[in-house]
Amino acid sequence: MTSERLVEMLSARLTPVRVRRLSHDALLLAAIGAVELLLLLLLVGARPDLATAITRPFFWWKLAAMGVPTAIALTATLRSFDPTRSPRPGLRGAAIAVAVALALGWLLDATHRSGTTIAGRMQWHEGMRCMAWMAMLALPMIAALGALMRRSAPTDPAGTARAAGTAGAAWGAFVFAFACPHDDPLYVAIWYLAGCSLVAVAARWLLAPVARW
Amino acid sequence: MDGARDEWGELMAAAQGGHGGAYRRLLGELRQWLTRYYARRLPPALVDDAVQDALIAIHEKRHTYDPARPFRPWLAAVARHKWIDRLRSMSRERTDALPADIAIGDHEGAVVSASVLRHLMATLKPAQAEAIRLVKLEGYSIEDASAATGQSGSLVKVNIHRGLKRLAAIVRGRGDDE
Repeated sequence: MTSERLVEMLSARLTPVRVRRLSHDALLLAAIGAVELLLLLLLVGARPDLATAITRPFFWWKLAAMGVPTAIALTATLRSFDPTRSPRPGLRGAAIAVAVALALGWLLDATHRSGTTIAGRMQWHEGMRCMAWMAMLALPMIAALGALMRRSAPTDPAGTARAAGTAGAAWGAFVFAFACPHDDPLYVAIWYLAGCSLVAVAARWLLAPVARW
Repeated sequence: MDGARDEWGELMAAAQGGHGGAYRRLLGELRQWLTRYYARRLPPALVDDAVQDALIAIHEKRHTYDPARPFRPWLAAVARHKWIDRLRSMSRERTDALPADIAIGDHEGAVVSASVLRHLMATLKPAQAEAIRLVKLEGYSIEDASAATGQSGSLVKVNIHRGLKRLAAIVRGRGDDE
């Protein structure tokens, strides 16, 4: 087929389209996130010691350590759905946010050191359970990002998939932070980081084909 | 050029609303622009396919153009994305050796001297550039390229694969001056 003929064909079957708006995508994700958080609190419940936890810096550090990378990675993902935008600066920003969070966690840990041994603080059994929860809670956001990605036009599919995986994984951890009673910086640094990394890597590989067009 | 860009933006905005006439005119003008764009970046045999790929991509992703923003960067981003795709696909496609009796006069000089491709090839290691030139641009078999360069057949394949991967990375990493 000649390109002239192709132009004729494409023009002949033209249908009106709704222009993609970043704000609409962001609102949709916010709604999905709010419903997920609400369902978690209703069905599973918040951590039993929430009233005490919010008076201590560890809880807020944990929330910020998950929330800030989530916000940065989500923004980078949504922006990269536009073919003129790259997700790479946002990915670098998310990595810096994680590094800063780890440094602050180390500082908190150093100033509030407990007498418990490292093995005792790790709590392997609980850690594995937390990772499974985080992975499960990341799924709705990753699925929603995948659906939006399918309709968009990312020109760096691998980068966009990585940003979406990071955003979904960090969001799952953020939601789980309301139910998880563990605020020990060492526990959070090990298990949350491991859980998020595994989910982010898996999501990156699952979403990369979706991002191609 | 700014006028053309704004006009294209207006035409695309009308097309998003379902205006077939505006869309036909826009695609007709974009077809010419894309032909010039790819003629400077790809071997002549690949230009028409690349133009058609880009036109289909523009059609399928037309809802991602925001009429409040300039059209030209959006168009350049789509065209460049399809160019990178094309470079990648060159590394996956099987290359058949051309029989000697259909050989035509060498037009390499005309193509390469005017092509951004040559500029890109210069950034590769000589062995990679040579393997790509012989097998992907001139249609030699792996065996012939191996004999001509002294590289083993496996090394020719590795050099083609790595060279095309590097080309795609360079293209992705640099701004588009189109």
